Order: sequence, then structure tokens, then C-alpha cells
Amino acid sequence: MEAQELLRRVIDGDERAWGEVVDRFAGLVWSVARSYRLSSAATEDVVQTVWLRLAEHAARIRQPERLASWLATTTRNESLRVIRGNNRLTPQASVDEYAEPTTPSIEERVTDDVTLQAVLAAFVQLSSDDQQLMRLLCAVPPLDYETISELIGRPIGSIGPTRARCLERLRKLLPPGLDPKAGLP
Amino acid sequence: MNISDDELLALVGRALRTTEPVPDRVVTGARAAWTWRTIDEELAELVFDSAQELTGVRSEDTARQLTFRAPGVEIEVMVVDDGARRIVGQLIPPGNYTVRLAVGDEVLDQQCDRLGRFTFEPVPLGPVRISILGADGGHVVSTEWVLL
Repeated sequence: MEAQELLRRVIDGDERAWGEVVDRFAGLVWSVARSYRLSSAATEDVVQTVWLRLAEHAARIRQPERLASWLATTTRNESLRVIRGNNRLTPQASVDEYAEPTTPSIEERVTDDVTLQAVLAAFVQLSSDDQQLMRLLCAVPPLDYETISELIGRPIGSIGPTRARCLERLRKLLPPGLDPKAGLP
Repeated sequence: MNISDDELLALVGRALRTTEPVPDRVVTGARAAWTWRTIDEELAELVFDSAQELTGVRSEDTARQLTFRAPGVEIEVMVVDDGARRIVGQLIPPGNYTVRLAVGDEVLDQQCDRLGRFTFEPVPLGPVRISILGADGGHVVSTEWVLL
């Protein structure tokens, strides 16, 4: 079902459709919120605020077909609000520091897949901007470049080239011959 | 042989999703957000938030200030955090109202004073919504959810 149709059902009061919206987009909202490197408590509060907003505002979303974009932008706005207005944030200094690992989430699990381990070990060595872009590019369902450009405040034309450079930096931190199928079921 | 950009990005995605899955309680909370909907209520929109003002340097001890506005009423809120978090607010114009604070699973009610003032303390962390109820107990207006 299209996001648009799901949203229409939500507006009509269909709780099952709401559950589907949550299942479909929970990962996306989480990825965007995590990309701002807030504490885990603050990340969870941001995410919950976004869902409460959607439940309340579903009928006011002007472009229902752009629900993913609305969720991502709202998550960005709430995260920035926390960063500017709240003292529970990771101090700004460390956000900009090189190779500061993302605040670990309580839920964080280890993986016994050596390829994924290597990828993560390389990922945390990237700059915070690179890490954020990677997180946004990895969101499921995917965010379009227009939305990503809004989120990070850079021209849409720069996203593709930045993605390529960022992946190149990541590749340099990785051993050759990685198994592209790692982590697949 | 080296892997392509798309394959590498897919690996990053899988690595992140494997090690940082969406916590179950986050999904549970998102589903439960449905029950907090207020279909027919007037929504007071956030029209000012000191945390969103980009200009000027914020002083550490400046209290967060927010203004919500609905037709006919304005809700001014200040968040004071000196150990215990306190929400101090005022309804403009004042009236015979009950002010309701929803935060987390908690709902706290309070009668505002003659000048429309109210105070909630302590206020737990998490998204907050303030509602104004008339003398008959009926909702007058609710604010949007905000993180304070």
C-alpha cells in the first residue's frame, strides 16, 4: 500500500493503518534521530515526539506522498531543538571532533559477522558529517536526495559527489575483498 | 576485486541495523502515540520557542520560553531547571480553567490562579502537552507535543 493511502486510512481513524505506518517508518525515524548523536534518552524522546506529532497532525500533512520526508524533517527539527535548548545533549565540541564514536545506545548489540564488524570499525573513524550522511543514505525506506539536502543544509547537487567521496574514505579504512553479501539472511 | 559504492553502502546499512536496532520500547511508544490523539480539539500551535532562536548566544542559565497560540488564547510557558524541573506558565487571557499536563504516561491537572498562572513540579523528561479544560471539564485547547 502506498504511504499516501496508509496515511488516508490513519486520518480516517484506522488504528491498524497506524501500526503499519509505524512498522514501515520506525527504522527511518530512528536512523535520522541517531544521526544527530544525542544521548540515547534524548534520541528516544525525539522519536516519541515525532510519532506523537504525526498522530496529531496526520490530517495536516500537505503532501501525503512525502510522508518519509515529513518524518525525516520533523525528526531533524526536534533533534536540533534538543541540541539548542536542552542540556542533555552530547557537548557540541565532541560532535565536531574527529572520530568521536556515536553515543552507544543501550540497545546496541554486537555482531559476530567479521565483515560487518570491520565496516563498523571503519565507520566510527569517519568524521561526524560523513557518519551523518551515511546514516541518512542508509535509511530504510530510502530518503530522496532532496530531503537529505534539506536535512544537512547542502545543495542537492552536492549529495551524489559527497556520497562518493565519503564511501571512498570509508573504503580506504577497510581491508580489500570484503564480502558484499555479509549480513544478508 | 573491490565492492561497489552501492554494495558498500548496503553493508553500512546492515551493520548499523544489526548493531543499533530500533529499541522495542520505541516501537511500542510509537504505536501507543495513537491513543493520545485529540481529534476534535483546537490545537494551540507553538509560535515561539527560545530554543529555536538562532540569533544571539544562549546563556546557560536562561530559562527556556515557549508560546503556544490558538484563536482566543495564548499559553506562555517557561521551563525552569534548578534541580527539579518546573514548568511555570500563564494563560492569556486568564479564566476559570484547569490546566492539564501530559508527559509520558502521566496526566497532571491543576487549577490556574486568578491571573491564569500555573506551575507543575517536578516534571519528568519526555514529550509534553498542555491542555486547557473549561469549568465543565470539556477541552478548550491543547498544545502540540513538545520536548522541553
